[in-house]
Amino acid sequence: MATRKKVLLKVIILGDSSVGKTSLMNQYVNKRFSNQYKATIGADFLTKEVVVDDRVVTMQIWDTAGQERFQSLGVAFYRGADCCVLVFDTTAPNTFKNLDSWRDEFLIQASPRNPEHFPFVVLGNKIDLENRAVSSKRAQQWCQSKNDIPYFETSAKEGINVDLAFQTIAKNALAQETEDMETGGFPNITLNPEPNTRQNQNDCSC
Amino acid sequence: MLGQSASDSEFKERLIANVKKEVKQIMEESVTKKFVHEDSSTVVSLCGAVEACLSQGLRRRALGLFKTSSTTALLHKISSNCIEAAYVSKKVQDIEAADPSKRSSSSSDSIIKPPILTKKSSSNSVSGTSTTSPNPNVGGQVFKYMWIRIALYEKKLARIIDHLVSNANRYYDKDSLVADPDYGSILSSLLVGPCALDYSRAKTQDYFWSDPSANELVQRHIIPSQTTPQASRRPMLNIKRMHTSSDDSGISTYKNNSPASTAKDYVESLHQNSRATLLYGKNNVLVHPKDVAEPMPGYLSLHQSIQYLIIKWTPNQLMNGYNDQSLPSSAGSTDNVDKSFYWAYVLNINVDDIVYVHCHQNRSSEETSGTIILVGHDGVQRPPIHFPEGGHMASFLSCLETGLLPHGQLDPPLWSQKGIGRIFPWPVKSRRRVGGLPSVLENNDEMPIDYVFRVVNKSNPEEFLATHPIMDVGRTSPYRPHLSSCSTNESSDCSSKSISLDLAENPIVTQVNQTTSIALVCTTMKRQIISRAFYGWLAYCRHLSTVRTHLSGLVNGRITPDIGAESGLTEERWKDLHDENGVVNLESEVYRLVYFGGVAQEIRKEVWPYLLGHYTFGQTPEERADLDENTRHYYETTMSEWLAVEAIVRQLDKEKTAHAVAKLSSGGSASDSKVKNGVDIDVQLENEVFEENGFSDLSDPEVEDDEKDSTKIPKVDSLPVDFDLEVKNEPKTINLEPSQPGGESMKSSPSTSSYETVGTDFVDCPMSPKLNPTAVIVTDASIDVVNMMAMEINEEKNNDKTNLETLHEEKMPSAQNSLDALQEPKSACVSPASSNGGIYSSELLDQFGLNLHRIEKDVQRCDRNYWYFANENLDKLRNVITTYVYEHLEIGYMQGMCDILAPLLVIFDDESISYGCFCRLMERMIENFPNGCAMDMHFANMRSLIQILDSEMYDLMHAHGDYTHFYFCYRWFLLDFKRELLYTDVFAVWECIWAAKHVSSSHFVLFLALALLENYRDIILSNSMDFTDIIKFFNEMAERHNVPQVLKTARNLALQLQTLIENK
Repeated sequence: MATRKKVLLKVIILGDSSVGKTSLMNQYVNKRFSNQYKATIGADFLTKEVVVDDRVVTMQIWDTAGQERFQSLGVAFYRGADCCVLVFDTTAPNTFKNLDSWRDEFLIQASPRNPEHFPFVVLGNKIDLENRAVSSKRAQQWCQSKNDIPYFETSAKEGINVDLAFQTIAKNALAQETEDMETGGFPNITLNPEPNTRQNQNDCSC
Repeated sequence: MLGQSASDSEFKERLIANVKKEVKQIMEESVTKKFVHEDSSTVVSLCGAVEACLSQGLRRRALGLFKTSSTTALLHKISSNCIEAAYVSKKVQDIEAADPSKRSSSSSDSIIKPPILTKKSSSNSVSGTSTTSPNPNVGGQVFKYMWIRIALYEKKLARIIDHLVSNANRYYDKDSLVADPDYGSILSSLLVGPCALDYSRAKTQDYFWSDPSANELVQRHIIPSQTTPQASRRPMLNIKRMHTSSDDSGISTYKNNSPASTAKDYVESLHQNSRATLLYGKNNVLVHPKDVAEPMPGYLSLHQSIQYLIIKWTPNQLMNGYNDQSLPSSAGSTDNVDKSFYWAYVLNINVDDIVYVHCHQNRSSEETSGTIILVGHDGVQRPPIHFPEGGHMASFLSCLETGLLPHGQLDPPLWSQKGIGRIFPWPVKSRRRVGGLPSVLENNDEMPIDYVFRVVNKSNPEEFLATHPIMDVGRTSPYRPHLSSCSTNESSDCSSKSISLDLAENPIVTQVNQTTSIALVCTTMKRQIISRAFYGWLAYCRHLSTVRTHLSGLVNGRITPDIGAESGLTEERWKDLHDENGVVNLESEVYRLVYFGGVAQEIRKEVWPYLLGHYTFGQTPEERADLDENTRHYYETTMSEWLAVEAIVRQLDKEKTAHAVAKLSSGGSASDSKVKNGVDIDVQLENEVFEENGFSDLSDPEVEDDEKDSTKIPKVDSLPVDFDLEVKNEPKTINLEPSQPGGESMKSSPSTSSYETVGTDFVDCPMSPKLNPTAVIVTDASIDVVNMMAMEINEEKNNDKTNLETLHEEKMPSAQNSLDALQEPKSACVSPASSNGGIYSSELLDQFGLNLHRIEKDVQRCDRNYWYFANENLDKLRNVITTYVYEHLEIGYMQGMCDILAPLLVIFDDESISYGCFCRLMERMIENFPNGCAMDMHFANMRSLIQILDSEMYDLMHAHGDYTHFYFCYRWFLLDFKRELLYTDVFAVWECIWAAKHVSSSHFVLFLALALLENYRDIILSNSMDFTDIIKFFNEMAERHNVPQVLKTARNLALQLQTLIENK
């Protein structure tokens, strides 16, 4: 087992404007939905303590502005991210199409150590709405093509799948975190006398 | 007997379970908080549980002379056989020796207060132990179990217990827990984990990761500040740059008292901390140690502590490598085979020991690299330090010079050049050249430039003062007004010296004539005083000159008095300011009143256009009415323009949505079939980029896209945001055909000309509707809604200019009506008369469509909880924004524009005047958006201002490197604090910003931002908030600020800077 130095998981939520990034974050952390959110300017974050694999970790979830023009701001916020959540609106195909550029942009700006295996999670939000325009199939195919990114269909309004999605996000972020520390040359010391089964990283098969 | 042993084992089981529980707790804490605080309650409870195990069944007799069954006694007893125990025992005795008051109690029991404990911990510990401690002791719980704690901190507890267990028969009863073959070994192995943890006293924040809310922080702050209001607060304006005295500092909580200096600690000590200010830091600076073949890269830093200025250089191997060391080892020790030899190369040079600084600079271009060799008093040269290119050497020297001030300096001083900063003295030839380094001179292509600086150090000022009573006279004399704001020792020294100069001359000079011996003494003293005073004064001046250069542009030179302006611009006063013709002339008085007291809500509607520059002072009511008219006219014309475009965009959208939905319903099977067949044109078109990656047999859609664009002239395909390609090949979609062959001759000229005729009054509104010269005709046959407005538009387009003028004339009386018509939601919106068609480039349609969707999204979300926007007023917002964006398509819509417009609309409740004022406002605001450069400038100015006005805060921000970008101010500046404040406060703050431009500073937002920081500075400092903490804090505090207070502080800050700069 690796040393448990850092247990702060930094999660960045990206996606086009008004796909529901702020709503998802608030639904997850505060279990609340409001239709009064304004367009996010700058960046904000919320923290939540979660238990992943019997470990208590703190998730620091960063909500960012959706307009691509503001991406240049990102560098300061993307730094040190452990997981990136890409959100699109299932009723707006263009928001789905832009996932590609969000993903690329993130990889460029955050420049993670291992871009190939950096954990992303894709959320197709607003499934409570009638006028759906991006099929699950299409979204899943995209995710598969990008190194099997876990995909969830959520509704921040109804709270559908939000917890499940963020649990996966936390798990993958933690795995990333641990991997980082191992590749960082930390020696493994047994600290905890209690046996603790390390779960291997496994993307959700949704 | 059997029952007895059963209950015994039950008891032991409980004891062990207790230890288990505590171990688990402490491991958890180490995980959640990254470290375990030494005073943490979990530590106390763990020690309690261990103590309980160890006390159980302890043989009194075994302890011999010791009277009690204290486990401390046991420890001392075994120390002769067990190294670890001896070590811990020694430590315990040391602590007792250091604090003799504890001695008496220590030998009898383990109730000892280690002197290291802080008061803060007591509350934690008590709450933690009360439940878990098996044998609670009266009142002394906090200070208990000292040896166990020390053994734990020193990571030796497990081994000591191991020793006890293996020698249990000597000290314990047979049936005791420790002697038990099972429990004994369990106990010792349980403690292996906690013994591997790091215990820290360095960080006192127990709530490190638990993120107290902003509210809680404010509450916490209020409680103590009620008893001692701002007791520890230093005066805000600190002229002295470096904060050198650490004892009174709010950030001294960082203080690490731990004597053990580990490698990690060493590297961390290179950061800014309370004891030493980091003046300079640069990585990958090459140093060439004597016995090494190649120069080594490392981190060069310059630290200023109270007494010393120290240059440090640490090899990269040590900087990066400390993580690799599994357990912290002593800095100088050789525990770690790989890294340890690098410690030999570490440089740690006290600048006091240095007499010469040799600089060798290669000046081939502007970019310069250089080498510095430091020569000590003993004549020994330190290893050469090679700076990479990019002026790093110059900046190092500059920092060195700053660090030496005011008691030392470089001789000759670096030249200070306005705007650029310090540069090397010039010309070179007059400076001393260094011989003995021919290698540098060999590069004849690049002219090498050598300098020698002498480091001039003066004696400690305190000693000097002590022996020179005259200085005290100077000290007690009143400072000059602007100097009274200096607060650190150094700067006040400077000021006192500059005054003692005068004092020295007057009374003493007269004495000189009377007695020669006294005269001699006095002359000597005078000379000393004068020279010291001069240097102090010089340093002060130089610093002020830096301040001025950097910040003089931020404030207006003239200070405006606030007499009688507190009540602001009331309705009555506003009325008085009009002359008999209704003209307002007293421009400066209006600004002054607004700046110091705001505008009364009732007259905001009238005053704001003046403040924003929409109206100019001195205009007659008629002129203003004309202006309003023209504005309205222009606004309506532009609006009808884009409404026409919008109609087309919408129609295209509708078609596409229908199409997409149709596709989606059959989507499943379609994409299935595509998977099978691989060629299905429809799907291929629709799915576009999305499935590209999954299906390599598809051709690159981007290329495809381009091909189509070039072949098909009426390119409508990419215009709506949501749907891209599929339209064009569908027979069902809009018919795109050039219906008016003659129409192209007009091209886009009619629309531009209409701007010109109406727009003459809009000097500052750029008129650049980006119309593509290769415009194509788009006719939408499917739209059959014909509307009056639309007819007008088309007429405007198709008729010549004169006709247009008359049309406008006709329209004016009914302007209000048509305006109302425009305010109707888009369902009632006009569409261009389809048969006539409009002339729009595909690019225009494309861009406008994209922006329309963006605007829509944001308008819907803009302040809908505010009463004004709870209804159709949102449409007004949308109209004005769209008009503005249509006029500035090259910039396009950016998030935040809605927020800037909304308050204007609330005040004016009129689209055209809001539009006019919005244009004015955006002239300044647009620069803050990502395409402008004002934001970075704001950040840089904030930095300088904080450095000048609040050095303590600056130190904190410097310590957390992340502050450098000040992103927590981003939203403040982007929206002029609109999101931070309630609507009523936004009004007050905005008019103050607008008026400030003419009263104190055209960068008043900076002072507002500073004021916000200042308002919470004590909270920020006492919690030593980092970048993320502060973002969260201010996001949570949004709309909860005490705005009158903030405004007052901001005005004072601006005044302070004005005063500072004015006084030269």
